[in-house]
Amino acid sequence: MSNSTSNTPEKDHKSSYRAEERRTLSSGEEEFFFDVKTSDMEVNMGPQHPATHGVMRVLIRCDGELVTGSQVHLGYLHRCAEKIGENVEWLQYLPYTDRYDYLAAMNNNLGYSMAVEALMPGLEIPRRAVLLRTINVELNRIASHLVAYGTYGLDIGAITPFLYAFREREWIQALFEKICGARLTYSYIRIGGVFNDAPPGWLKEVGHFCDVFEEKWKEYRDLLALNHIFIKRTAHVGVIPKDMAIDFGLTGPMLRGSGVDFDLRRDMPYMAYGEAYEAGAFKVPVGSGEKGELGDSWDRFYVRVEEMMESIKLVRWCLGVIEDGPIIGEIPKVIKVPAGEAYVGIENPRGELGHYVHSDGGKVAVRCRVRGPSFTNIAVVEELMPGTLLADSVAIIGSTDIVIGETDR
Amino acid sequence: MELQAIHDTLKAAGVVGLLGCDEPRPANKKEKDPGRAGMPFLLVDPAEIVPLLTACRDESRLQFDLLIDLTASDPAADGDDLWVLIQLLSLKYRHRLAIKAHLPKSALSIASATAVYRAANWHERECSEMFGITFEGHPDPRKILLPDDWKGFPLRKDYEFPTEYHGISCE
Repeated sequence: MSNSTSNTPEKDHKSSYRAEERRTLSSGEEEFFFDVKTSDMEVNMGPQHPATHGVMRVLIRCDGELVTGSQVHLGYLHRCAEKIGENVEWLQYLPYTDRYDYLAAMNNNLGYSMAVEALMPGLEIPRRAVLLRTINVELNRIASHLVAYGTYGLDIGAITPFLYAFREREWIQALFEKICGARLTYSYIRIGGVFNDAPPGWLKEVGHFCDVFEEKWKEYRDLLALNHIFIKRTAHVGVIPKDMAIDFGLTGPMLRGSGVDFDLRRDMPYMAYGEAYEAGAFKVPVGSGEKGELGDSWDRFYVRVEEMMESIKLVRWCLGVIEDGPIIGEIPKVIKVPAGEAYVGIENPRGELGHYVHSDGGKVAVRCRVRGPSFTNIAVVEELMPGTLLADSVAIIGSTDIVIGETDR
Repeated sequence: MELQAIHDTLKAAGVVGLLGCDEPRPANKKEKDPGRAGMPFLLVDPAEIVPLLTACRDESRLQFDLLIDLTASDPAADGDDLWVLIQLLSLKYRHRLAIKAHLPKSALSIASATAVYRAANWHERECSEMFGITFEGHPDPRKILLPDDWKGFPLRKDYEFPTEYHGISCE
């Protein structure tokens, strides 16, 4: 199986092209579509397009099948999260955090809680709370990557993997429902700890889930990630070189897919990650250009697939060391946060979720800034599109794994 | 690297426009000082922001290669300044830098950082529509999240909520 015969034209990352520059395809054939001159056409992809995973509009200019330019239009789902943050009490804002990256609400809760906790120096988070947070965040990461895995297949035309992925995701949601009562917008991780202890038998069921998932994961990998047709559609498509990824400020699997070995969980550890990494509980998967070139869509996709397995190992490690104890630190009913400012960034499934919070000592924040990873990650699409085929634009947008709730906030 | 060390490294590299470090301090009841919790910020002169960011990126002992965030804050409706806040991250040294520049409300203009970090592009567009800051030399200064005809700057403390939009009442 060789990918050197891919039908994709070679990318040059130029924002414009000249028709007289006939390029030779990697298969050795001459490009043919420049022979026919057609007038430029503007195609509106979205706002209601399944491949945009929400309400986003991508304006694509194309010459026949060849994309010559693109423009991303955001804002259809703007819900003023930052303004709301300046108008509600500290704890009241927590449910709003669920709603920006609604596929990874646990992670959002954690990011916001950690930012507020950074302003409360005397506050100690009990160990059981730290481990419960880590378990839930990692389970949520798996659930989020399962959606990324399933919908990416769906974008490209493979419907079956999506149904498989949602089977396991359903189980994770059922686990969350047991611990906090919600399936999507959890508000489970609170400032100071978590709000509910694991019900009897819950930790055991999580262990059982890990056993089952490990077996299923191999199926996922073989079914979609190593599928020949899938590789043909994604390898060599939407290549982000290393320096471009860094220049655009990409984070998370987008950055690691381009071969940059950086993960906040390992490199700037928080919660139980530092301890877990020292115990050898997880590794950081990095793209290698195995099936195509380094930084192509397949690399980004496969980093997510491998991360699911690493999350399972992390959950197992947490289950091994968790002990009984308190689940929340000493927090008053109405939280008053000491005056100060803090920026805390954590590793979300999509990249770095940052919160900048500024308190003047009152019940309400002065400024509550959310830095969503999807917002920065989607910016690179405008750069990747020119010179690709129209059919590949879906593969490129899908590989960025954006959630519109987060780009627009 | 700690903030003070970063500050000294920049100073040694001949960077101008450094206005000191805003470090957290404990509360002092005797002097009625509420203290300041959280994280330290590097205070800089907004006029020197581009050479400063370039030095942060290129200085071999700092290597802040990722611009994580660029935003602003309006700390008080009756205050004189807006703050421009920039978060940088170094992949190699695994350290962060938070930069704060005070921008007077009478002259809301700062040079664009897009030439140094392309990641700044969208952040500056958002910052500009939310706070009314002009980024000089920005390649594409359109609105990004708000409709093109939106009036006012929503994240300013003196923002008045509109009562209607295109004939739709919002009251």
